[in-house]
Amino acid sequence: MESTQQTESKIIELKPFTDEMVVNMGPQHPSTHGVLRLELRLDGEIVREAIPHIGYLHRCFEKHSENLSYPQIIPFTDRMDYVAAMNQNWGFCLAVEKLLEMDETKDFAVPERAEYLRVLICELNRIASHLLSFGTYGMDIGAFTPFLYAFRDRERLLLLFEKICGARLTYNYIRIGGVSEIIPMEPGSIDEQNYLDEIESFLDYFEPKIDEYNDLLTSNSIFSERTMGVAVMPAEMAISYGATGPNLRGSGVDWDLRRDEPYSIYDRFDFDVPVAKDIPELGAVLGDCWSRYKVRMDEMKESVKIVRQILAEGLPDGPVMADLKAVRPPKGEIYYRSEAPRGELGFYIVSDGTPKPVRVKGRSPCFSALSALQELSRGLMVADIIAIIGSIDIVMGEVDR
Amino acid sequence: MDRYIRNIYKGVYTVLVGMRITIRQFFEPNVTHQYPYEHDFEKKRNVREIPKGYRGQLYNRIEDCIGCKKCELICPVDCITITGDKLPKGEQLWDSMNVIHLKDGREIIGLIEGEDKKLNLDEEMTVTNITSRQGPQEVVDRLEQSGDESRTQTISGSEVSRVVTRNPVVFYLDQFDIDMSLCMYCGLCTEVCPTECLTMIDTLEGIEYSKFDRTDLIFNFDKQEMYGKDEAETEEAAD
Amino acid sequence: MSDFFSDGFFNNINLQDSSNWATDFVQDVIIPRLPEAVAGHFPMELGTVLVMLAFAGIFVAVVPLLPLVLVLAERKVAARFQNRTGPMRVGPWGTLQTLADGVKLIFKEDFIPPQGDKVLFLLAPYVIFACSFAVFAAIPFGDGIPIPGDFNIGIFYIMAISSVIVMGVIMAGWSSNSKWSLLGSLRSAAQIVSYEIPLGLSILTVVMLVESLSMSKIVDTQSGGIFTWLIFRSPFTFIAFFIFFISSIAEVNRTPFDLPEAESEIVAGFHTEYSGMRFALFFIAEYANMFAVSAIGVTLFLGGWQGVLPGFDFLGGFPGFVIKTLGLVFLMMWLRWTLPRLRVDQLMNLCWKYFIPISFFNILGTGIWGLIFKEDNVWSIGISCAIIYVGLISAYAIAGRNLARRPEPQPS
Repeated sequence: MESTQQTESKIIELKPFTDEMVVNMGPQHPSTHGVLRLELRLDGEIVREAIPHIGYLHRCFEKHSENLSYPQIIPFTDRMDYVAAMNQNWGFCLAVEKLLEMDETKDFAVPERAEYLRVLICELNRIASHLLSFGTYGMDIGAFTPFLYAFRDRERLLLLFEKICGARLTYNYIRIGGVSEIIPMEPGSIDEQNYLDEIESFLDYFEPKIDEYNDLLTSNSIFSERTMGVAVMPAEMAISYGATGPNLRGSGVDWDLRRDEPYSIYDRFDFDVPVAKDIPELGAVLGDCWSRYKVRMDEMKESVKIVRQILAEGLPDGPVMADLKAVRPPKGEIYYRSEAPRGELGFYIVSDGTPKPVRVKGRSPCFSALSALQELSRGLMVADIIAIIGSIDIVMGEVDR
Repeated sequence: MDRYIRNIYKGVYTVLVGMRITIRQFFEPNVTHQYPYEHDFEKKRNVREIPKGYRGQLYNRIEDCIGCKKCELICPVDCITITGDKLPKGEQLWDSMNVIHLKDGREIIGLIEGEDKKLNLDEEMTVTNITSRQGPQEVVDRLEQSGDESRTQTISGSEVSRVVTRNPVVFYLDQFDIDMSLCMYCGLCTEVCPTECLTMIDTLEGIEYSKFDRTDLIFNFDKQEMYGKDEAETEEAAD
Repeated sequence: MSDFFSDGFFNNINLQDSSNWATDFVQDVIIPRLPEAVAGHFPMELGTVLVMLAFAGIFVAVVPLLPLVLVLAERKVAARFQNRTGPMRVGPWGTLQTLADGVKLIFKEDFIPPQGDKVLFLLAPYVIFACSFAVFAAIPFGDGIPIPGDFNIGIFYIMAISSVIVMGVIMAGWSSNSKWSLLGSLRSAAQIVSYEIPLGLSILTVVMLVESLSMSKIVDTQSGGIFTWLIFRSPFTFIAFFIFFISSIAEVNRTPFDLPEAESEIVAGFHTEYSGMRFALFFIAEYANMFAVSAIGVTLFLGGWQGVLPGFDFLGGFPGFVIKTLGLVFLMMWLRWTLPRLRVDQLMNLCWKYFIPISFFNILGTGIWGLIFKEDNVWSIGISCAIIYVGLISAYAIAGRNLARRPEPQPS
């Protein structure tokens, strides 16, 4: 009798059964980054399960591409990850160029000047993308001001893009075999010099701002309380879910396609790949929301470094477009991947020798990262779900395509 | 206990650091501007202009259009509709024309006299049969005064930035419609246009053209008035 | 303890004080102006009640203007923190924007969720509205301005009335029949109930020093210039002020404690389903609350309407009181536009693990302080200011050392 009493007294019902509440978070919700719908099964504030439902922004990119010629697909890649559209253009063009077997040995290689412009613009675009990610993450956690600071700086970047390609969001700038000439910029002209000076002045303005944002948000104790140790994604889990980019590096895996599989001219630049670490004195756990967020903040600095190297070298002379009569790749298939701001962006293209592809498949980094949400969010709180969505930095346009 | 006090200290300290950053911004000037009221982009520290080459509304200078249908083909969303017939042989409206882009941004459309395949930009060139000119108003005025009667203009080669040769028109345009509600502003059509008559308006008019009715967004570029009944008049206008 | 009750603690509550000013008003102002024939037969009781009702009417008409100004101020201040201009369209510099919004809200559809609890749904905004305005009754606004509710338990009354707000919040959340509303209202209930404790305890330190619950008496003891303000009276009230201030931010549901209406998490919390004028009532109540807690903070800790120097009117009187209150309101806005939001368990941690122990420590310290310094004099105030000064300087020194090396080590 006594023993049973003892055991009974030990079994305190820590988790009394309560009715589960099913809540739909989204598709119209302030912080699901677009039209993600999460089916939350809640026990009070505790999330028993969060099931993501996607497809609200599906625009048949892949099927659509089968009916378009290669240059016509590029504007559609803009609409995938509309926050970093330059990188999406580039990812697709890289794949097609590989399919066309363009390289130095052929007479229609991508010109040097185009490569420099591509790296320059895409790194600036990476900064713009991470700025948006930083701003919206602050807003998800509840601080509205960093969001507007981020947009203030992003605006200057968009103005730079606008000057070189005529559009603010859907650029259609990087083309197969080079970059767009829609706004001509003569090599060595006063226009080019002005443009590079503007970039320089932006970088001078922006570099101290990163530290300011770190002070304002990253090291803020409320912010770190909210994000540190939350939703830890170990390296094995990140790899098994196919998380890439900052999400993978946030889990401590040192992998960056720009360095490990250098495409374009990335091997000529000197930059570090920020990888998250356990910081016990702060409370940051490897693979938590804070690590993923911090990797992005550090990556902005690295992008600034790359752009500064280009500015120091100056753009080379020459054409910006390869001498390419028509884009008609030979029969074959290709999978080519590049490092977009959100991770590994791959394009799988099957060609039958006609000007239109038979099949185009986009490998979206956000989709893979989002699939980890269900496992990450188990047992956390409603507020943590928001923190996870922000930290894996999804863009629904890319998830649904 | 040490950790407890450290936590309090860290909380207070980081909050104060954040507050210092925001109060500094409190005294910074605005970065926004009151858009519809300041739409003229008058000189102000933070008000910007629409950059040259901005991709706005599509506009076709129809009198220069040769109806080659390249834009219709390249358009990824099929927002351009062109219908028309081929002209019978020998009835084309004009011969080859040259679009001469000058370095100061002007364009002159005419025929370069004595043009051969290789254009020598070091020498002066005489442009005859000038049909249209674009550029700053004073430049156009000067051109009007100097040689409108003869429709001839002599330009030194150093002024010329590039020359585009336009093929003879062989196409009779019935319809040239652009549905701007479908357009995705990729700018591919303006790149393929051989006569560079299809452009995107990079001024405020090219951005602010919202309509209450979706059908109003279909812009018809009508060539009918160009093909006048009077054959002589047509020749006059086309030349 | 039995003495406490047999003495009749509750009998000592003198609610009748409140009618004095109205009776005085009838006797001094109204009766002399009446014709003599009427004056003799003037019904004093009825007249008093009528005068009180008239004043209440003026009060209810004037005080809602305050949120109108505060909403605009909040938007403008927020805009400045974010390098914007804020509303600019309605009226010169957008000064009539809140008025326009109010008019818009009045004309909007008054939506009532069909599956909800209709009575509670209709009642909830009025409960919150009434409670947040009843607080104003006991605040001494200035020298010579009558306090409608000048009880000898004024601060106790304020605490009691402002606790009722949580009832309105729960009613709103429950009756909306929306899951987001329910989550918001439950968060709010937990939050307000928890933060009442450090709030009350930090008020207690003041009450221990003043030995009175009456708001006017608390103001009277701070008449000797800035150093007799209760915040500088002892080091413990200095700490208590900050605990009071932060807890009151939590009480009025503002960032970093705006969980009940956390936009990015639970849409709009307990007032998700409200629209039109009912939503406006919530909004007005929120800003009235904000002003009220700041006014209480000023009264308790920052000298009320007493000036900086005993002889001068600088920062004294009604304008001084309003300036000081708006200063605290600005501080609240400043915090709101700087800080992220806490999670619900961290919110509870902050309250139960940090504020409440520190508040108890404060009360202990204040008791000992009161034993050492039986009466406030130059010595007690001097020692207190010295301790506060040394504390701040040493904190600053530690911060300076930390500034040299950034608090966050770079992952290398």
